[in-house]
Amino acid sequence: MNFYEHTIIARQDTSPSQIKQIQDKYSKIIENNDGNIVKYESWGLMHLSYLIKKNKKGNFLHFKIEGNGKTIKELEKNEKIDKNLLRFLTVKVKKLDLETDYFKKTEDMEKK
Amino acid sequence: MKRKNTKKKNSQNSFSKLSVFQNQKYKFKKKCPLSGKGAPVIDYKNIKLLKRYISENGKILPSRITSVSQKKQRDLSLSIKRARNLALI
Repeated sequence: MNFYEHTIIARQDTSPSQIKQIQDKYSKIIENNDGNIVKYESWGLMHLSYLIKKNKKGNFLHFKIEGNGKTIKELEKNEKIDKNLLRFLTVKVKKLDLETDYFKKTEDMEKK
Repeated sequence: MKRKNTKKKNSQNSFSKLSVFQNQKYKFKKKCPLSGKGAPVIDYKNIKLLKRYISENGKILPSRITSVSQKKQRDLSLSIKRARNLALI
């Protein structure tokens, strides 16, 4: 079982309830394809350094997943057709570092 | 790893003429700041660290200027490109 870090950027104008929906939907997909979510981090609304599909800000969702290639393929297949997702990135990592959370809410002051 | 010396010689001509007269001991004292013991982890999420190694308009600084070791420079550039993809940098 490999370790993956999956990040999703949702559109700027998705309401918190929609974000909850997105998160449940994709965690269900992961669970169905014999993967499991080790940790879920929501980095919240952050400024994008460049416009993606005319969005200045994006809601970041971050999953730390343990699974195999099939789960990721299934996950990304569904994400391609999802309208209110701007971008997603999956990174295969050797081991998941669960303690360091770079975008915790307490570190809002470093964002200008 | 003697490669670094030749790189410094021909890279900046004016500097290399000058460096001939410099004392040999001081010229290559800089150690890689990322490969020490308490070095920060290179990660595409750690944008505070990545920001130090890119120029103002977002270009990756060469290792001959930031004196980062070759192995760390590769990890650095990979994580910078990932952070760019996520529009974090």
